[in-house]
Amino acid sequence: MSAIPAPAPRPGLLRTLASTRLTLAVLAVIAVAVVANAQVEGGTPAALAGAFGLGAANLAAALVVQARLRADLALFVFHLALLALLGLAAAGRLMALDGTVELAQGEIFDGQLLTREAGPLHRDRLARLRFVNDGFTIDYAPGVKRGRTANDVRVFGDDGGVTRHVIGDIDPLVLDGYRFYTTSNKGFATLFRWVPRGGRAPERGAVHLPSYPLNAHRQAQSWRIPGTAREAWVMLEMAREPIESGRPSRFQLPESHRLVLVLGDERRELRPGDSAATPEGVLVYEGLTAWMGYRVYYDPTLPWLLASALIAVGALAAFYVRRFRVPAGAGA
Amino acid sequence: MEAALLGVAVAAYGGAGSAAVGGTILGRRVDAAVAGLLAGGLAAHTVSLALRWDRVGHGPFISMFEVLSSNVWSLTLVFLLAFLRVRAVRPAAAVALPFVFVLLAWTLATHPDDGHFPATYRTLWLYAHVAFGKVFLGALLVATALAALVLAGPRGLATLGRAGVEGEVAAESLVLRFVALAFVFESLMLVTGAIWAQDAWGRYWAWDPLETWSFLTWIALAGALHARLAWRLGPRVTSAMVIAVFALAVLTFFGVPFVSTSLHKGAV
Repeated sequence: MSAIPAPAPRPGLLRTLASTRLTLAVLAVIAVAVVANAQVEGGTPAALAGAFGLGAANLAAALVVQARLRADLALFVFHLALLALLGLAAAGRLMALDGTVELAQGEIFDGQLLTREAGPLHRDRLARLRFVNDGFTIDYAPGVKRGRTANDVRVFGDDGGVTRHVIGDIDPLVLDGYRFYTTSNKGFATLFRWVPRGGRAPERGAVHLPSYPLNAHRQAQSWRIPGTAREAWVMLEMAREPIESGRPSRFQLPESHRLVLVLGDERRELRPGDSAATPEGVLVYEGLTAWMGYRVYYDPTLPWLLASALIAVGALAAFYVRRFRVPAGAGA
Repeated sequence: MEAALLGVAVAAYGGAGSAAVGGTILGRRVDAAVAGLLAGGLAAHTVSLALRWDRVGHGPFISMFEVLSSNVWSLTLVFLLAFLRVRAVRPAAAVALPFVFVLLAWTLATHPDDGHFPATYRTLWLYAHVAFGKVFLGALLVATALAALVLAGPRGLATLGRAGVEGEVAAESLVLRFVALAFVFESLMLVTGAIWAQDAWGRYWAWDPLETWSFLTWIALAGALHARLAWRLGPRVTSAMVIAVFALAVLTFFGVPFVSTSLHKGAV
């Protein structure tokens, strides 16, 4: 009488998840998600997150289950660093902030952003940061090709100290982990003082005209005068465009200009110092200045991501150096 | 002078490729002639690129002409180093050099405009990124040329001085050495590219067309190496996968910039 053979143990979930054959399927899923992300307008972040999450699960399970992977230190470190990269990238998305802000020359950053996308775990410290845009220069090559951007900024520290920086292109302003980048989005701003009737305090403000030179022929903007229902519309007319296609140029204020102001049915042309009266108050045009659009980025995982990436590449190189130290032709 | 030197390089590269293919067909070793012509062509090409760099004020990374010409230079350099250092690589010249010559023909058919060097390109990370990318593609070209000989069967193996199953395995080992080199340098290319992107555009990765396709190439290379282990694939299948990854890398390097107005989103 022969014993009935015991059924082969079914592989557990962890072992299935750790399969190197599953790794291939996961890599294929990641590739499909990446292609889909490139094809769909606006991307497919959920599909990417799902695919990379599956990759992380496969990698973590393999590190636990696959003894062969742990037996080789370099290979183990490589895969561990890859797992760390995936984890850090995910953590970074939860804690990151990506936003934009526009500051006219002389305007102080007050922590408010124009656009803002923040992860659910982001702890906002922007309100503590203070810096002022002290103006910028941008060189242009013939053909309106943007060259070097040099933006002077002053930073006000918590201790009352002031430091000066020149930022632009590959040199962002880094404050408490927040990185402020100059962008190609910049233009002219009209400065107004609004003096309301009835003794209320005057207000000063800047109206940002559309990005220049991208919208060189649409330098107009409308806004609502504060405390009123009155819409105002302005258009900048320059005697000569500061940036011309046929010669090297520099972004700078036009040598002379006039401002067309439309209030209701009334159209006026203003020069600096001119004013326009309305039943609610007087609008004084103080002059023209420039504004810079900044990209604001915060991700506390950046240095850890870099360290993990370098460790991964170093471990991979170490693994292959040792593996192929044997003479060529001795077998794979 | 710049164009004349490029002409000398074209003639030398053409001569090297013709010698390699002719030698293979006739069964003669012409290694010294191939190496000499490649070295002479490289010297002329190097001076031509240097003169252009000096004239336009930036390295050959911007226009399609510059991308193609500098890659012909780097592919030839990497291949020549492998040719001189690893004797077993030499027969692969008959496969690798015609590919380089096709790129060279494409270069000559492209308008040699100077391009505009954006301010965000003025960083050492760009040079590191480009250099790692060139080593990656060069190493993958060597691997691919060897893989093509493995795939060609007994005659291809014979040009490598190998025969039989053992010969195939030994040839595959050589292929894998260059694949490994390519994998490491592609990883370095991606890392340095991400550092540059963070400094220049405020994001380390944004899935722009080049980032997407270079990541797909990395995934394909990782997948090929994993598949070989997971299914214990033989040298011929491994070789076919290496050639497929090379095709993807060529599409990334030369196809994406060809259809994209700027190499990286936000670069200009």
